[in-house]
Amino acid sequence: MPGAAERGAELREQMEAFVARLRGGGGRPRSEDTARHTLALLRKIIAHGHWGSAGELMELIRAEGRRMAAAQPSETTVGNMVRRVLKVIREEYGRLRGRSEESDQQESLHKLLTSGGLNEDFNTSYPTLKANVIEAINELLIELEGTTDNIAMQALEHIHSNEVIMTIGYSRTVEAFLKEAARKRKFQVIVAECAPFCQGHEMAVRLSKENIETTVMSDAAIFAVMSRVNKVIIGTKTILANGALIAVSGTHTLALAAKHHSTPLIVCAPMFKLSPQFPNEEDSFHKFVSPQEVLPFTEGEILAKINVHCPVFDYVPPELITLFISNIGGNAPSYIYRLMSELYHPDDYEL
Amino acid sequence: MAARGAARRGAGAGPGRGPDPQEEPPPPLQAVLVADSFNRRFFPISKDRPRALLPMANVAMIDYTLEFLTATGVEETFVFCCWKSAEIKEHLQKSKWCRHTSPNTVRFVTSDLYRSLGDVLRDVDAKSLVRSDFILVTGDVVSNFNISAALEEHKLRRKMEKNVSVMTMIFKESSPGHHARCKEDDIVIAMDSATNRVLHYQRTQGLKRFRFPMNLFQNSIENVEVRHDLLDCHISICSPQVAELFTDNFDYQTRDDFVRGLLVNEEVLGNQIHMHVTTEEYGAHICNLLMYEAVCSDIIRRWVYPLTPEMNFTDDENQSYTHSKHNIYRGVDVSLGHGSVLEENVLIGQGTVVGSNCSITNSVIGQNCKIGDKVVLDGAFLWDNVQIADNVEIFHSVVCDNAEVKEEVKLKPHCVLSSQVVVGPGITLSEGTVISLHPPDEEEEDDDQFSDDSGVNKEENKVKLKGYNKKDVGSEGKGYLWKADDKNEEDEEEQRQSLWGKEEICALPWPNYLSFLSLVFQNEVLGTLQRGEEENISCDNLVLEINSLKYAYNIGLKEMMQVLSKVILEFPLQQLDANLDSQNYFSALLPLLKNWTPLFKNYIKRASDHLNALFAIEEFFLEHDSLCTSIAKVLMTFYQLEILEEDVILNWFSLRDTSDKGKQLRKNQRLQKFIQWLEEAEEESSDGDQD
Repeated sequence: MPGAAERGAELREQMEAFVARLRGGGGRPRSEDTARHTLALLRKIIAHGHWGSAGELMELIRAEGRRMAAAQPSETTVGNMVRRVLKVIREEYGRLRGRSEESDQQESLHKLLTSGGLNEDFNTSYPTLKANVIEAINELLIELEGTTDNIAMQALEHIHSNEVIMTIGYSRTVEAFLKEAARKRKFQVIVAECAPFCQGHEMAVRLSKENIETTVMSDAAIFAVMSRVNKVIIGTKTILANGALIAVSGTHTLALAAKHHSTPLIVCAPMFKLSPQFPNEEDSFHKFVSPQEVLPFTEGEILAKINVHCPVFDYVPPELITLFISNIGGNAPSYIYRLMSELYHPDDYEL
Repeated sequence: MAARGAARRGAGAGPGRGPDPQEEPPPPLQAVLVADSFNRRFFPISKDRPRALLPMANVAMIDYTLEFLTATGVEETFVFCCWKSAEIKEHLQKSKWCRHTSPNTVRFVTSDLYRSLGDVLRDVDAKSLVRSDFILVTGDVVSNFNISAALEEHKLRRKMEKNVSVMTMIFKESSPGHHARCKEDDIVIAMDSATNRVLHYQRTQGLKRFRFPMNLFQNSIENVEVRHDLLDCHISICSPQVAELFTDNFDYQTRDDFVRGLLVNEEVLGNQIHMHVTTEEYGAHICNLLMYEAVCSDIIRRWVYPLTPEMNFTDDENQSYTHSKHNIYRGVDVSLGHGSVLEENVLIGQGTVVGSNCSITNSVIGQNCKIGDKVVLDGAFLWDNVQIADNVEIFHSVVCDNAEVKEEVKLKPHCVLSSQVVVGPGITLSEGTVISLHPPDEEEEDDDQFSDDSGVNKEENKVKLKGYNKKDVGSEGKGYLWKADDKNEEDEEEQRQSLWGKEEICALPWPNYLSFLSLVFQNEVLGTLQRGEEENISCDNLVLEINSLKYAYNIGLKEMMQVLSKVILEFPLQQLDANLDSQNYFSALLPLLKNWTPLFKNYIKRASDHLNALFAIEEFFLEHDSLCTSIAKVLMTFYQLEILEEDVILNWFSLRDTSDKGKQLRKNQRLQKFIQWLEEAEEESSDGDQD
């Protein structure tokens, strides 16, 4: 089968390129694009890879997924999509074996205790499994496409006339959310610039083009301005299993200020950002980039004497967050665990 | 599987893959990577391991260079190896660059005949390896630079003015005093700010004053920028012409030769060099251990992001690290004893065991090292499999593979233990100690060789012949001291210079070669002056010619001064008669001096120049006893022509530490009278000032 071998080589090359791009970490890729890329790659692996049964397929996906996820630990989306695909395979397999969906999803204390003995075997091979899984992944891709719109649609429920909204940095989801609200309501937006990369500037430019009254301010002024703000609406990189955020650095300050002034903090995030990982001491989600933006390399002598750090993300604990708005509706942080068990299979939490 | 392109490769080259030669348009971006430094700056370390494979933060330097090339979009890289080429090849074949998924095809060209960068590029031309613009780097460049912008500029320039610009050099902005700037590589550049054209390129070599040719500022260029805030990344975008130019000019050995040659002959050849300055990205060239230290610490401090240790860009399973606060990187299976502290900027490789109560900061530790209890490491660079016993202290030093440091040993800054050396127990190595298993005296035997591929086989026997000096390496030590004792301090300096690159270096390390050069130079200057006298050439043109001679022979300003004075004073003897008496001599000399006053004035500017000129004059008269009497007159003339100042003459006269002959000379009556006259004149003038 020379055709298959060629396709295999091509696939390997694409994988390598994707991993290299993740590693490079340049250019601030959209999480949505990353998610789509991951899914497309996984679909190819399923279509062209060598596997006989669901168990083998899951092993294959897991191995590739581990590799992709390890390339850039801060891009949790990759791992999330791998888990989603694994879940899809489990479901499709279960359906082929004729098991009802409800029984699988129920997670009772009793089941938790007995689940150890109920390890399914995935060794039976079904010829239709491949087509079914690919079909389900295509559905997932369609779902991905609609996420931002789904979130934006809820904007009118949360933003009212003449409100003052604060946000930080640049998030495409928040941008769409605010723009959607601006079609019907008039409100004011204050953008914290989010130094040193100042993505906030771009956000402000984009919002003001839609005739939204926009003010940019420095991160240091967050606390002072907070008393005037009705709502804080932010995006995030990742939602962790405990309902905490890994968001652009500066968000923790913002969240604490909001808490102090009892201003509601709303996080707009699509479900694919929900990661079943817990914050751990390894700091593995952390991403430190070149300190160039903080203190330019041209500074000279002083650089030998000091350490400069430039973290990209903040950890925001769940108790500071009022509400998550995802593509499937608004949820409190305490409900995240439930969403998680719907999206991922507990066995896949660890890839 | 891609077709195995066997197109033109050097003898003994390894297997390489690549696209079919047919699929040409657009030509893939190519790179020439020179994996040999053609110098011995890293001796004795590079005796065991070629420089390109020295680990920087536990990853070989050449991997950084290849990653940089791949990330910037290079699709085909020619790796030229000479010294220890087999090792480099083996390393690369195991690495991810030779997997077939690699977007960058690596081809090897090995030859033992390369002696310089020039040879490599001549070979590139001979084998016509490059088809279009290519990137030229050495195997010790660490960079995260994205070449595409500079490449676009380069191509645009080539398009606008057909083939005028042949090279674009990449510089990184970094102000003087920066730790990643090394003295040796310090440069001053004059550029045309509108077009980024390089007008003048000069290494500072520790000089305090620089000369720029006048025509730089007289040309029609509107804004000339003179910059000293640039770091040469040693990355250049070259057109295929560069290789041709190297072929045409057999004397070009290094890139410096090339740049200098092109700039000097710009009018003749019509080729230009441009530059690209980057402020954001990182780029550095590791030319000595001081740079090694600086770049290592930059990598650890994440300046080269995304080329950081935890990214594991080499895709090697043994190289996975976790990154935590304060830039602590830990590999797999690292064990840290009770009470040990990793303070900041520490990298520990896989399988390393650290004992209890250690303090480690700003250090890089390789794989499978064993570190005892109560060890203090600050700025230590330990490579793989190093054994450190209890109570050892190491500061700013390099300890190579498999070396062993026994109990209670203390390494002061800038020590180097090359591979498999054992030191201790209980000794303190003074600053700048270099210890290697290779006996240092082997050096002299093959010193005339530029590259380092001889004398390896003989070593084994020698080790058996000679015992190790227990005083240097401790009672259980193994290794030879490479010049670092108090006895021969000069050598120590020299050694540290070459390894650490700390002091200013002298341009030419071979004294006899140097004197030979200056002799040739002297003859050339004499010839120029003779022609000038015969054809009545104006002084400005003479200055120009002498200047170009000065560059051609790489003569320092000080020496230049001495040669010039000597040549002019000897001129009448050469021209007329070697046995002139002092009277006739002076009358012959006088018109010459008057003619060439501007010449002197051009070169004699600082007080030290005056003094040098005087020494040259003194030397001349010491050599020609018969003319001694005219010294006063000559000095008088120099004084009257305002070439020499009275202060300096008095200063010179009162110098104590002269030879007997010099004292004899100073007793010359006329001279004493002249001095007396000068002194009086000075008193008068100072009196006059007071009034």
